[in-house]
Amino acid sequence: MRSKVIGALSLAVAAVGLFAATAPALAQGKTITVWWGKGFYKSEDDALLETIKKFEAKTGIKVELSQYAIQDMIPKTVAALDSGTVPDVAYSDTYDVLAQGKWAFEGKLEDLSDIMLPMKDAFAPNTLEAALLYNDVTKKKSYYGFPLKQQSMHVQIWGDMLEKAGFKAADIPTKWEDYWTFWCDKVQPAIRKATGQRTYGVGQPMGVESTDSFQSFYTFMDAYHVKLVDDDGKLLVDDAKVRDGLIHALKDYTDTYIKGCTPPSSTTWKDPDNNVAFHNKTIVMTHNFTISIAAKWFEDSTNPALTDAQRAAGKQAYEQDIITASFPKAPDGSTIKYRSDVKTGLIFANAKNKAEGKQFIAFLMQEDNVRPYVEGALGRWFPVTKASQASPFWQADRHRKAVWNQFTGGTAPFDFTKNWKFTILNNENVWAKAMNRVVSEKVPVDKAVDELIARIKQVAG
Amino acid sequence: MAITLSASDVPSPPLSARLSPPQVWGIVLLAPYLLVFLAFVVYPVCYGLWLARHPASYVALYHDPIFARAAVNTLIFLVIGINIKMLIALFLSGFFAQQRPWIRWLSVIFILPWAVPSIPTILSVRFMLNPEWGVVNQLIFKFTGDDGPNWLNDPAVALAMAIGVHIWKSLPFWTLILLTGRLAISHDLYEASDVDGANWWQKFRYITWPSMQTLYITCTLLSMIWTLGDFNSVYLLTGGGPADLTHVLSTLGIRYLRLDQLSLAMASIVCAMPFVLPLVYYMMKRLSR
Repeated sequence: MRSKVIGALSLAVAAVGLFAATAPALAQGKTITVWWGKGFYKSEDDALLETIKKFEAKTGIKVELSQYAIQDMIPKTVAALDSGTVPDVAYSDTYDVLAQGKWAFEGKLEDLSDIMLPMKDAFAPNTLEAALLYNDVTKKKSYYGFPLKQQSMHVQIWGDMLEKAGFKAADIPTKWEDYWTFWCDKVQPAIRKATGQRTYGVGQPMGVESTDSFQSFYTFMDAYHVKLVDDDGKLLVDDAKVRDGLIHALKDYTDTYIKGCTPPSSTTWKDPDNNVAFHNKTIVMTHNFTISIAAKWFEDSTNPALTDAQRAAGKQAYEQDIITASFPKAPDGSTIKYRSDVKTGLIFANAKNKAEGKQFIAFLMQEDNVRPYVEGALGRWFPVTKASQASPFWQADRHRKAVWNQFTGGTAPFDFTKNWKFTILNNENVWAKAMNRVVSEKVPVDKAVDELIARIKQVAG
Repeated sequence: MAITLSASDVPSPPLSARLSPPQVWGIVLLAPYLLVFLAFVVYPVCYGLWLARHPASYVALYHDPIFARAAVNTLIFLVIGINIKMLIALFLSGFFAQQRPWIRWLSVIFILPWAVPSIPTILSVRFMLNPEWGVVNQLIFKFTGDDGPNWLNDPAVALAMAIGVHIWKSLPFWTLILLTGRLAISHDLYEASDVDGANWWQKFRYITWPSMQTLYITCTLLSMIWTLGDFNSVYLLTGGGPADLTHVLSTLGIRYLRLDQLSLAMASIVCAMPFVLPLVYYMMKRLSR
């Protein structure tokens, strides 16, 4: 009996000793789980992988990276939140517009002030503010995310198709109404006649599952100076002027479809689909919330996996054929002030390795790491740090210069930064729903706008 | 002193001793299946019901016009889609019952849509029906100069297309089942009817249909149960679009998941139960006769 007790004690002491000896090694060998939206380009993902490699070498913390298609990120994250097994760090292009404000409000996010505030001065104006969100549990605002990059609205045009239709870039009108008439009534019939192909003048995103559709619609609203919320997030939709502006914006947006100037499938387009239509040359122009369209051709021009002919085609398209432009003047003749959308990542409050996750974010946000990542997107994303914005990369060609000019000319934030409930409206995509009520269900525009306003009040009022 | 023990005082032998070796083996061999069944069927179903337990979710569903639309679409799918499919299958089974060599070859081709996995076949149809670059509208444009219909962008047409794809995909299976039923009917009955001078309709009405009625109704019930859970036809073809107008109950859950509303996603699936359970009960009752 006595010998059994002594044996058991010895075993316990040996076990404790073994644990004590291996404990530091266990901490060293910690693994963090990172979920990240898949990039459009290989160079973007390569830059992220390079940063991860450097981080692992520097800290000894292993990073388990999972990359998902953008449209899968929210459903996967929602399922993870429900099961309680969330990643340690997560980033998606859709979090900020569709969910992050809500998660912050519900107290599901970790406060990142301790890593954001020390680097506050590195951020450009109107960037870090996007991560300052309200938490209804703590009843205060704090940094519940980290800003990574931003985007804004651009117009992409096939210059060679325009020429084939018998027009030059200088022929593109700058007045609002003339501009849309030009693509619809002049360019489309002319290009069809010249090529014998079913080509459309405009690529107008209208899909409920696309962020492009509401980002484009916001530009139409801005053209009519529609202000849905004030700076405190209070709704202004009861103002008759707002309703009137919305009716004009929705009418102009849907007229393009009704007149047959945008592909019929644009009502079901997801985010990549207007890009695909443009690349396939089934549309002459489209408005897009990044220059990913032009950047794709740049990537082709430098892609060693492609043939010489394909690389040459990429070079030709990027350097000669594709035009990156702005919207026309607003109907009242003023210049439209574009919205910018700051993309943010996050850490969940119930993540297992928050300290290591924060370490990873702090490391990623260092200039040497964040710049290659943003520039790896070939101009699709604009930086949020002052140093990166001053990089020669943005002066390297006409497309990037156009982006730089647009951002440095001043942008406005989206409504969800003032009233988080707009993330719900964006997620439901009430804007695209209103468009579809008009074009698919033949509801009059004013009725569709009244329904839209009613829904905005119901959700965000 | 003698002690007498009552039967209840005698300890019963352990369970393993009371079971015969075949029974023990039976349990051992059954255990893995039971564990898998519990882990992958019972647990997810119970967890889903648990997530859908909030009455507020059902109130929210009731107020969501998309839910009402999905419920109506589901009914259209069940009433129109299944009846068209089963009727076509019934008559096609008569066609394939003919004893001709070329029909055997044709039946091999006919079975392909059912045999090939859903994702490539339905996506192929989706590409063919794309209004801009799909082969169907390309041909229409080539020969008429007209843009062609918006196959998948008009809600009514898109739903009709989804029903069409569902019929095309599952028709071979039901035709095959009904064909086996037809082949089981005694040939003597048809020979006797020939002697009596019966035409094809009379043969169908007085011999074929009475012999196949039970099988046909059972197949229809089973098809209804399966169709209620048919996610592929709608999701792969229209994705529920345009503007969520072609969703059915089986695809609606995905929409709510995308909207960060997990309890509504589960509640929308639970809402299909009142459709499914009576069908299952009625079918089991028929089968047990």
